[in-house]
Amino acid sequence: MSVLAGKELRIVGFLCNWCSYGGADTAGTARAVQPTDLRIIRVPCSGRVNPLFVLKALINGADGVLVSGCHPRDCHYSAGNYYARRRLELLKEFLPVIGINPDRFEYTWVSASEGQRWKDVVTNFTNRIHALGPAPRWEDVPARYDRPEELIESIRPLGCGEHPALPELRQAVKDALAEGLEGVLGWKKGFDAVHAEPVFMTTPEEVDSLIWGPFNVHNLAVYLPQYKGRKIGVVVKGCDSKGVVELLAENLISREDVKIFGMGCNGTVSLPRILAKLPEGVKIESCTGRGNKITVTAGGQDYEMTMAEVAQDKCRLCTKPNAVLSDVFVGTPTTEPAAPADGRLPGLRFLDSLSLEERMGYWKGQMERCIACHACRGACPMCVCRDYCVSDTRDPAWVTQEDTVQQKLFFQLIHAQHLAGRCTGCTECERACPMDIPVFALKQQFGRMIQKIFSYGAGLDVNATPPLLTYQVEEPTIKEHDLA
Amino acid sequence: MSSLLFATPKDLTSWLAKLASDHRVLAPRQEGPSVVYRPRTAEQLASDDIDALLRRATASPKQAMLPQCETLMTFKSVKDAEDPSKLTTTLENPCVAEPTVLFGCRPCDARGFVVLDRPYLEGKFKDPYYGARREATVIVTQACPSAFSSCFCNWVGSHPSDKEGSDILFTAVEGGFVLEVVTEKGQALLEGADFADASDRAADVEAVHEAAAATLPSPSTLTDVPAKVAARFTDIAFWEKETVKCLSCGACTYLCPTCQCFTITDEGSQLDGRRLRSWDSCMTPLFTLETSGHNPRPTKAERMRNRISHKFSFYPERYDGFFSCVGCGRCVVSCPVSLDIRHMVKAAVEGVVLDAGKSGEPAEVPASEKAEEKAPVEEVKAPAEVAVPEAPTAVPTEPVEAVPAESVEAAAAEVVPVEPVEAAASAAAPAQATPASRTQKSAGRTTSRSSSKSKAKKR
Amino acid sequence: MSEHDCGCSKNPYLPEVATVLEVITESPTIKSFRVRFDNEDAWNSFTFQPGQVGQLSVFGVGESTFVINTPPSCRDYIQFSVMRAGEVTTAIHKLQAGDKVGVRAPLGNHFPYEQWKGKNIVFVGGGIGMAPIRTIMLHVMEHASEYGKLSLLYGARSPEDMAYKADLPGWLESDVLHTTLTIDREAPNWPHRVGMIPNVLKELAPSPDNTIAVLCGPPIMIKFTLAAFREMGFKDENIITTLERRMKCGIGICGRCNLGGKYVCLDGPVFSQAQLNELPPEM
Repeated sequence: MSVLAGKELRIVGFLCNWCSYGGADTAGTARAVQPTDLRIIRVPCSGRVNPLFVLKALINGADGVLVSGCHPRDCHYSAGNYYARRRLELLKEFLPVIGINPDRFEYTWVSASEGQRWKDVVTNFTNRIHALGPAPRWEDVPARYDRPEELIESIRPLGCGEHPALPELRQAVKDALAEGLEGVLGWKKGFDAVHAEPVFMTTPEEVDSLIWGPFNVHNLAVYLPQYKGRKIGVVVKGCDSKGVVELLAENLISREDVKIFGMGCNGTVSLPRILAKLPEGVKIESCTGRGNKITVTAGGQDYEMTMAEVAQDKCRLCTKPNAVLSDVFVGTPTTEPAAPADGRLPGLRFLDSLSLEERMGYWKGQMERCIACHACRGACPMCVCRDYCVSDTRDPAWVTQEDTVQQKLFFQLIHAQHLAGRCTGCTECERACPMDIPVFALKQQFGRMIQKIFSYGAGLDVNATPPLLTYQVEEPTIKEHDLA
Repeated sequence: MSSLLFATPKDLTSWLAKLASDHRVLAPRQEGPSVVYRPRTAEQLASDDIDALLRRATASPKQAMLPQCETLMTFKSVKDAEDPSKLTTTLENPCVAEPTVLFGCRPCDARGFVVLDRPYLEGKFKDPYYGARREATVIVTQACPSAFSSCFCNWVGSHPSDKEGSDILFTAVEGGFVLEVVTEKGQALLEGADFADASDRAADVEAVHEAAAATLPSPSTLTDVPAKVAARFTDIAFWEKETVKCLSCGACTYLCPTCQCFTITDEGSQLDGRRLRSWDSCMTPLFTLETSGHNPRPTKAERMRNRISHKFSFYPERYDGFFSCVGCGRCVVSCPVSLDIRHMVKAAVEGVVLDAGKSGEPAEVPASEKAEEKAPVEEVKAPAEVAVPEAPTAVPTEPVEAVPAESVEAAAAEVVPVEPVEAAASAAAPAQATPASRTQKSAGRTTSRSSSKSKAKKR
Repeated sequence: MSEHDCGCSKNPYLPEVATVLEVITESPTIKSFRVRFDNEDAWNSFTFQPGQVGQLSVFGVGESTFVINTPPSCRDYIQFSVMRAGEVTTAIHKLQAGDKVGVRAPLGNHFPYEQWKGKNIVFVGGGIGMAPIRTIMLHVMEHASEYGKLSLLYGARSPEDMAYKADLPGWLESDVLHTTLTIDREAPNWPHRVGMIPNVLKELAPSPDNTIAVLCGPPIMIKFTLAAFREMGFKDENIITTLERRMKCGIGICGRCNLGGKYVCLDGPVFSQAQLNELPPEM
C-alpha cells in the first residue's frame, strides 16, 4: 500500500546538514519516489536537536518526528551524534509517560551518499506513522481527573519524634557561626503547628529556633547558588544533601564555601495528606509527634495519624536518609534500607497502568488547573537559571502566554528535560505546587529511564559526570533503531 | 432588601442546576487535593455532593472576572491583489461576557472583586472585559463557618460573614442554608426559586456568624499602616531580611484575589494573530525589566517590597485608605516556604526587623520547643520572654515534640510492624488510649510547659 | 455598577489601525516613524498634548510605548522615534512606508506648559531623550511670544548618534531658540561642543531666575544633570522630566510602571523633580 494514496500526515524531520540532508538530496537527485509527508528542518548536526524541538512538535500536533544524522564515528563535529544518541534514546523512552506513542518519534543515521537508504528510511517511517494514524489531539482527548491516593508501603521505619541530637546540632551550628560562617540555612516553626519554614540563621538566638522533624520538608539546597562566593552552612536531610552534591558536581557552588550539617532523617510529611485528615477550615492549634504517631489538635479536637498515612512518597522509598556528603554529622545515622527490588515508584505506577490515550487525558486533567505560577521551578534546587529561564523568553518562544494544556504541559516538559540526569528526586516541584499537580512524575520518568539506560542516579557523587554530558562510542545499552 | 430564605441542600443544588440552563455556573470542585472553580453543567450540579460545593477554592475565584489568559483582540490582514506587500488589517474585539453565577466563594473572595473594581472600573479608563464579566456575574457567597489557620480578614476590615461584594450570602445552618439577598442582582437570581421564608432563622444565622468570627485571630492592633509601610520603603535591609527565604516564584500573586497585574502579548502574525492578556506577577524579574537592561526592581527584596507596599500603602493611598488585601491567607498557606504576609506587614509597621522565630509567636510556643529529654524543666523557661501577644501568627503553634525515652532508631523500630494495629487505634481513640498516652495528648493541647512536665514525669 | 456596556467603541485596549507614511533613519539605532490613522473620523477627532505618549504596535509582535514627538499643531501625521533595543523595537525598525501598525494614543499626562507662560525655558535632551523634548519644544517655539528666552542643550554620544539631523540647522539658526549641541568625545569635523551634558550645562550656566528646566535622557545623564541644575540654584519644582518604565496596558491597570502609588503611564510620564521627591526612590 502506498502512502502516497492517502491523506498526508504532519511529520517533522530534523536533518543534519552534513549527512542526512545530503542523503535526502541524493535521493532527490536520483529521482527516488518517496512519500511527501515529511517537512524537513535542516540543522547543523543531530547534536543540535534539542529534545525539546521534538517534544514541542509532538505536543503541538505533529503526527511524527524523525531525526536523522551522520552515522556514529562520522560526525562532522566529531561527537555531536554521540550526544544526540543518548538524548534521543532517552527521549524515546520518556514519551509514553505523557501519552505519546514512542513509535511516533524515531532517530536514525543516513549518510550523504545513502540516497537509497534515505528513501527507505523516509518511506518506512512515513508508513509507520500512517499505520498509527493521525496523532490524538489534546482537544479531543477526554480529561481525567481521577488520581488514586496510593499509600506506598515504606521500605524503612518512619518516625516523627523530635531528634534527640537536636541540641547537639544547634551547638554545632552555633560553633560554626562563631568560627565565621555568615549564616546557616535551616528550618524553624512556621505560621502554624504543621508548617515549618526555612530560616537563614546568623545569630545564636536564631539557632535556638532551629528544628528538626517531619515538617522540615523544604530542600534548602535551593538557596545555595544565590550565596555563591559567601561562606555559609546548610542543614540537610539525606534527600537535600543529594541536591547539594549535584550543585557541587555541576560547579554551581564551591565546596569550600558551604558547610554541610547532616542528621539522620526519619521521614517528612505530606501537608495535603495531613490536611485531608482534618475538617476543612479548622484552626490548627498544636501538633505533637511521638514514635510514628502524629497528633494534630485543631478546633479543640485531636486528630491522630501515623507516619504511614501521612509521610511523603519520597520518604517511603528513601534509601539515603543520612546526608550523602556532610562536614558535620550529628547523632546516630538512620539505618539505610536496601532499594526496593520491584522498582516501585509512586505516581508512575498509576500512570503505567493507563493506556497512552488515558495518560494524555490524565495530564490534560491535571494541567488544566495549573495557574502557571511556576512555583515548581522556584522550589527546584536544580533550576539554577533562576531569572533567565528559557520559558520566559519571547525569542526563542518556547511557550506562549496561552493557558492551554499544551502550553502548561510544555513548560513542565522543559523543566523535566532540563533536569534529565540532574534531578535528585527531592519532589520539591510537586510539594511547592499550590494546585497539587503531580508534576514530579515527569522527572521521575526521566530518572527511571536514566537508571535503566545509564545505571545512573544524580546527586550521589560529586565527581560523577551526568550521563547526558558524556557518551561512549559503543553504547551497549542503546540498540540501533534501523529504519532502512 | 435583606429577606431571608431557607434552602435544604437538595433545594440549593436543584436551584443551581436550574440556573445552569441559562448561566455559566462556576462552582468549586475537588480535583486531587486542590479545589478548583469549574463551569458545571446542570447534570453535574444536580448530582454534586453539597459538601464538595462548599469547599474553599485553592486559588481565588478571580478568574471568573479576570481569566488567566484572554484574547483582547484578534487581527487579520489581507494582501492587496495588485501589490502583495500592501496589507489591509482589520481588528476584531471578542469582548463578550456570558451570564454567570459564581457560587460558593467566600466573603473575602467577594470583597476581592470590590478591590479589583477600583483600578479596573473606577479610574480614567475602564476595562471593558473585566467590566462586562463583572456586570454579567452574580456572586453567591458562603459565609465562612470557621477560620483557617491562615485567615486574617479581620485585619483588613472584614469578617467571616461580610456581605460586601456579594449579591447573595448564604449561611449553613441546621438542616440546610439560609440565603440572604444582598443586591437587586441577587434578588433577580432568586426569582422563581421556591425557597421557604426564613425570617425565623435570623438568630441561628447570627449565631453561626458569631461562632465563625470567634475562630479568627485577635484583630490587628496595627495603626496608620499605609504611612508606616511607606516609611519602610527605603529600609532595603529590612526587605532583604524578610525575603531571605522567598523563592520569587509568584504563586502568591496568582492565588491572590486582589492581585491585579497582567501582561499583554501578541501571538501569531499580522496576517492572523491575537493579542492576549494574561496574569503576570510582580515577583518575577521580567515584570519590570526594561529593554535597556535596566530593572527598577532587580532583586526579590525590591519586588516583595513592591507587593507589600502596593497592598498596604500605594493602593490605600490611591483609593481612600482601602487595603488591596482581603485577608484570605492563600498566599500564606500555599507559599512553598510559608512566607507570611501578616508577619511582614506587622514587622514593617512595628519598626523592628523581626525574626519570626522569636517574636512572632505567643508565649507558650517557644517553651515547647525545648521539650526534650535533657533537663526539660530548666530549658522550658528560657525563651518564653520574647512573646508578643498580638503577634500576627497568633495561632498557637507548636513543634512536634520530643520523644523523650526513645532514640531515633528505637522510635523507628517501634513503628515497623504495627501499621494495621495503629490505624485501628487511631480510629478508636481516645477511648482505647492508655492512660499514659492520654496524659500526653491532653497536655499537648493545653500548654507545652505542662506537656514537657508530663513527659518528664513519664520518663 | 454601570450598565452592561462592553464599551467596544471606546475599548482602551483596541488600537487604531494606522499606516506608516514615512520612515526616517535618524542614527544607526534610531528611526522615526510618521504614522496616520486609517480611519479618517478617528484621525480628525484625534488630539493630544505635548508630552503624551502612544502605544505603537506591530501586530503579532507586540506593543511598546513612545512619546509622540510632533507638536499638536502637526495635523498630517504623528511621529514616534524608536531606538532599536528589544523584540518590538526591532520589529518596528523593519517597518516601511505603507505598513500597517496599531496606535493607542494619547496616553498619560503632558508638560504643564500652561504654567510656563512668561518664563524662560531651558531644554536639555540626551540621546533618545530628545524625543519628548522635541514635541514640547516645537510647541513652545510656535508660541514663542508667550514665553521668555528659550534654549536647548542637546547631547549625544557621537555625531552619528544625534537624531533629528534634519531639524538641527533650523534650530541652530532659529531666532527664538538658542541651541547648543554637544557630543561625548572629540570627532572629526564637529563644529559644536564636546563634553558631557552636565559639564556643558555648567559652562552655559543658565540663570535659575524665572526659568523652567526640562530634561530628558538616560538615567545616568538625568542624575548628573539634575545635580548640575540644583547646583546652579534651580528649584525642584522648576525642574521637569519625563520617566520611562516598562509598560503594558498604558492605562494604569497592569501594575508594572508604578512609582509608589503613581503610575507612570497614567499619572506621568511628566513629573517635576519636586513631585518625584515625594515618591518612593525606585528608579
